[in-house]
Amino acid sequence: MADSTGSAAPKPSSSVKLVLLGEAAVGKSSLVMRFVNNDFQENKEPTIGAAFLTQKCNLPTRTIKFEIWDTAGQERFASLAPMYYRNAQAALVVYDITKASSLTKAQHWVAELQRQASPGIVIALVGNKLDLVNAGGAGESEDDTDGVPDEEGDSDARKVPTKTAKAYADEESLLFFETSAKTGLNVAEVFTAIANAIPETQLKGPRGVGGQTTLGSGGQQQDASRVNLAGAGTAGAKEGCAC
Amino acid sequence: MFNLSSLVQKAQQFIDPTLSQTAPSTDRRPSKSTLFRHQFRLPDTQNPLQEITAELTLSSHHSIRSTSDDRDDEDRGQGNRYVGKLHLSEQFLCFSTQGSSFLNTASLSSSSAFTGQTHGAGPAGNGFTLPLCAIRRVERLHSQSYMFALAITTWNGFGEQSKKEGGQKLTIQLAGSRQQCERFCDRLKKGLREGIREVENLRAVASQCYSEYLLSNDPKIKEDSKKQDSKKEAPDTGLGIIFRYPGNPRKLRDGTKMRLWREYLNENGRNATLIRQPTFHKLIRVGLPNRLRGEMWELTSGSFFLRLQKPNQYTETLAKHEGRKSLAIEEIEKDLNRSLPEYPGFQSEEGIGRLRRVLTAYSWTDEEVGYCQAMNIVVAALLIYMSEAQAFSLLSVLCDRLLPGYYSQTMYGTLLDQRVFESLVEKTMPILWDHLVKSDVQLSVVSLPWFLSLYINSMPLIFAFRVLDVFFLEGPKVLFQIGLAILRINGEELLDASDDGTFISVLKSYFARLDESAHPKSENPKLRAVTRFQELMVTAFREFAGITQNTISEQRAKHKDAVLENIENFAKRTSIRNLGPDSKRLSTNDLGFMYDRFYGVLYERQQRAEMFQQEADRRAKAGGTKATRIATDVLYNNSVEMGRVAVGPSPTQMDYDAFREFLAGITRWAVSDSPSSPQDPNAEKQNYSYFGNSMRNRSVTLSPWGAGPEPADHEFMQRLFRRWDVNMNHALSLQDVVTGFAQVKGTKDIMSNISYFFELYDDDGDSKVDREGILRISEALLFLSRRGFENMPSPSASLNSLQPKESADNVGGGRENRDEQILSSISAFIRRCFEYADPDHAVNHSENSSNQLIDTTEKAVDAFSIGDDEDEDDLLSFSSRPSSPKPPTSLDPSQPTTAPPPPSSSLTPKPDKHTANAALDPTKPLYITLPTFRMLILADETLESFFESAFANSFRLADIPSSTPTSTTLTTFANVNAPSRAASAQALSLPQDAAGVAGPAGKGLRGMLDNIVSDGMRVAAEVRRRMEEAQREMDRAAAQGNYDEDEEEERAEADRKSVRDADRDLLEGAETVDVEAGELVGVPVLDGEDGRGKGKENLEKGRRGGGEVVEFER
Repeated sequence: MADSTGSAAPKPSSSVKLVLLGEAAVGKSSLVMRFVNNDFQENKEPTIGAAFLTQKCNLPTRTIKFEIWDTAGQERFASLAPMYYRNAQAALVVYDITKASSLTKAQHWVAELQRQASPGIVIALVGNKLDLVNAGGAGESEDDTDGVPDEEGDSDARKVPTKTAKAYADEESLLFFETSAKTGLNVAEVFTAIANAIPETQLKGPRGVGGQTTLGSGGQQQDASRVNLAGAGTAGAKEGCAC
Repeated sequence: MFNLSSLVQKAQQFIDPTLSQTAPSTDRRPSKSTLFRHQFRLPDTQNPLQEITAELTLSSHHSIRSTSDDRDDEDRGQGNRYVGKLHLSEQFLCFSTQGSSFLNTASLSSSSAFTGQTHGAGPAGNGFTLPLCAIRRVERLHSQSYMFALAITTWNGFGEQSKKEGGQKLTIQLAGSRQQCERFCDRLKKGLREGIREVENLRAVASQCYSEYLLSNDPKIKEDSKKQDSKKEAPDTGLGIIFRYPGNPRKLRDGTKMRLWREYLNENGRNATLIRQPTFHKLIRVGLPNRLRGEMWELTSGSFFLRLQKPNQYTETLAKHEGRKSLAIEEIEKDLNRSLPEYPGFQSEEGIGRLRRVLTAYSWTDEEVGYCQAMNIVVAALLIYMSEAQAFSLLSVLCDRLLPGYYSQTMYGTLLDQRVFESLVEKTMPILWDHLVKSDVQLSVVSLPWFLSLYINSMPLIFAFRVLDVFFLEGPKVLFQIGLAILRINGEELLDASDDGTFISVLKSYFARLDESAHPKSENPKLRAVTRFQELMVTAFREFAGITQNTISEQRAKHKDAVLENIENFAKRTSIRNLGPDSKRLSTNDLGFMYDRFYGVLYERQQRAEMFQQEADRRAKAGGTKATRIATDVLYNNSVEMGRVAVGPSPTQMDYDAFREFLAGITRWAVSDSPSSPQDPNAEKQNYSYFGNSMRNRSVTLSPWGAGPEPADHEFMQRLFRRWDVNMNHALSLQDVVTGFAQVKGTKDIMSNISYFFELYDDDGDSKVDREGILRISEALLFLSRRGFENMPSPSASLNSLQPKESADNVGGGRENRDEQILSSISAFIRRCFEYADPDHAVNHSENSSNQLIDTTEKAVDAFSIGDDEDEDDLLSFSSRPSSPKPPTSLDPSQPTTAPPPPSSSLTPKPDKHTANAALDPTKPLYITLPTFRMLILADETLESFFESAFANSFRLADIPSSTPTSTTLTTFANVNAPSRAASAQALSLPQDAAGVAGPAGKGLRGMLDNIVSDGMRVAAEVRRRMEEAQREMDRAAAQGNYDEDEEEERAEADRKSVRDADRDLLEGAETVDVEAGELVGVPVLDGEDGRGKGKENLEKGRRGGGEVVEFER
């Protein structure tokens, strides 16, 4: 959806397992819903365990089929999470920019992933609910005190400054976005960026680009240079093939 | 043998702390009472009191048409007779055709017989579960033969109508000896009498049952009771009555079902008095009618009986907590709008309001569970068919019994049952299982929501409710049977699926087509009419009939440990990672070790508390019902080890006692020198009397400190606790402990270590530690060093100017020497403290107005000084008879001659010589500052190394500091006794002989321990005495001004000859000190007037003996 969808010639396609993590009610499911169905539901049933959805993402050179595991956010479900992020190649760690505690939780998830998930996992940190602080976004945000909506809307509703989260993301070499699942702002971009950040060598699938090779450092570096944040890509060599 | 096994156990605990967690599990299997309650779905208050084999005879039309006798005979021919067991509990009379027995003598299999195949019935089989209050009359039938028969009449509806009907009658023949029958009846009589009190409850609860309403509107009675008919209002049968029940009632054949049920209820009683016959179970299998569904769920799950006991619990809970906030409520609010949103009732305020209230009320009744996502879905489903109060108590039964641990903080029940489900799949469908493993599909990603929300948001609602109908009747195994059947039916398609995605979509589309024909192409119209859902039910209950409650229990027991361990590892990992920046100063190993130790202590303490409780309970019960807690099979794991991290919100805060225990596990100095009586005498008695060997382990765990060493209690530990308790809530979290350790252990900087120690004693934070503080610091140093230190360099004597020369001759003493080194270093430290202390000007220049206090103190000072003088006279008279046969036990307060009258308050001093206390001598209030303290520490090599590393190293975490001869140093003082007696005598004039007396050889370990104890205490007393001596001397010097040193030395010279005598004298004194100090261990010795008084006496006493020794050392 992010790129031209007309795929006349069969591009190499591969599937990527992606897991969503984050505090309860930050909008994980809504992000997925927006990405997969381009839809938004005000009252989304809480995810029990995890929900599974798929969506294709077309890149210029290949097609990536995301297998999305959308997990439950409530704290006590955390112990189930390893079941879902097992073998995941990408993770979306979501927080709510109007709730400071959700970033802390997100940081915990990042730490957990970095230590426990597959070594090469690509992690994106996503601050959701941008519509609540961006006057330019939905227009119905409670606060209109801020004169400059496109700048870092330092409005009352925002509790996590972009700078803070960005700095953290840089430090941990994460992709970073602020999104609104409600308006759709930046949602597709997140997934496209992740798709780009996945090193080719990690890809598996029906016609996967030979994931077996461990000598493919050249290709890897190419990938890494294209998406400069993919610091995780270098670790891929260690893992070889996930299957 | 006994000792050996307990030692091994102890050792294992040290090797693997988790072992101790699993050990008691054998003891916590469900008791027979639990099994009994589970079979009949009774509340936790019920116990099996009596049981007897019996035959139940049902007249087919008890209610109205029961009068004709010939009909009765006819029915008998039709076989409405059931042979089974009649059970009596406090409030219930139960009959079941499942022949389970709960007698003490009953075998395991007969107690859990009901957990086998149930053939469509619930675990209670055919029969009844009558609350005694629902029994109207019991008659002993006159029978000609040996038969012992009872006719039981139950309440069948209330009010006029029931009187007319005469209630429902059933006949029971008891098969047993006359005696047995009589006993049973006696107990029944008693229960019936008590049951009268609950009739009101029954009336209230029954009036909320739809069956009551249904039957009162019975067309056959209608003519008789038209009046009631018109005024009676239908009870609340859930949101469905307002917002329609899901599904098409015609397609569900709701009307037909209702008619059948009306007939059944008419003949077999309603709500509390219902009798279960095979038709009952069949009626449930085909699906309950909408308006009776709630009531039948209540009855079959047993939540009805909960409500009967506490009819107002729901409203009371809500009222009690009204307006209060909690995390659970916050979480509930987030989900209210998203619970079964497709059902119109939950888009309305009415429905959402009900949901909110039920979830909130439950979160208050079980705060450990609080609220878990998925509960909202389950409760929302229940509320379609039930009133709020009904849903509330059914939720309790769900969480406590049917889905144990599912919604807990760690959701261990959910994870465990997923593991069980996987193992059942592996067993029953090995090919599919292999395929799943090969294609790396994790089964639980699809099955977890099935179990967690009872298929409610997996299947279309109408089918999920059909599953629930059976689930409440037959129990948790139904969830497994349905799950297995789903996989079996879709087996072929699933074998084609090679990834999670396909796997999930296969099942999704299956659920969406449950209402379609299972055999659409079949020629047979009957077969074509069978829906996929019917096929599912048949597969589940026929093909997987072998999956019984027993199977589930066995599997749960098998996988429990692995699952709990997994959760614990996860929790540990998460917890350690989130400990914050301070934790970075400690190694991961250390953190892991601390985590284990922290929760290990908390867990063990909780276990012990529980054991004590059980022990107490048992003792209380000992007379009456005997040992009902005999271990049986692990059936329901709702009694898994509480307090285990994985099981639920274990305590996360450590109180002071737990902290002591924690320290005792990682440091040697925190282990008590004088363990109090290690075992509860009662426990011991039981152990050796009638419980015999089976209770072997009990006595070990019943010690208040478990199998571990008894921790000491020293003021230093209190201070450490207070210091670490940053939130001032008298409890430490793991975070606090880690931060605390980071400060103590995380730094290698001696300066900051010294300041840390100083701050511990700087109570008011003014960077000054006064006289009292100095005493306490030195006591703490003694306390900490009383077992020596690992890794402490032996300081060269030459460097220490205060070191007595003699010790240099004994360098060979090695470690023993080092210990003496510590002792003398500390005494030197005290002396220097007072030498270098600054006078406290604040007090001397007391110009302030608020100085009533100081004035009086100063008056007191005068009094003291007078007293001092007299004291010395006194002392002289004492010293004139140093070798009197009876030692001057000046420390014994019971001695009238010397006992200090306890001064009521220092502000009202009497000119009493005994109140004088040099240690407190306020003539010269003084203090030391941090720089002084630092200087004094650095001046002494021993102390320097103590602060540099020894103190930090005294905490043994995972990373053991280099070179640690741990085992040897423990016996330090004991070792001192024998070989280097002379050396120590010279160095410290420690009365070694006393040690010999206190710990005669041959007493083994115990004797050694005693030695350590008495040595430690003696040293403390010695130092205190010496310190006070020094102080006194300085005082005197200050007072006299012209102190003649030569004279003093001469005196010392003279005294040297008699030093032995003095020693012996001291020895006896010291022994008494031991006693005193031992008693005062709990309280800081110097605190309180008593302690001071004694300290002072001690000083007076020591002046003669020890005073000289100090000089002698010089």
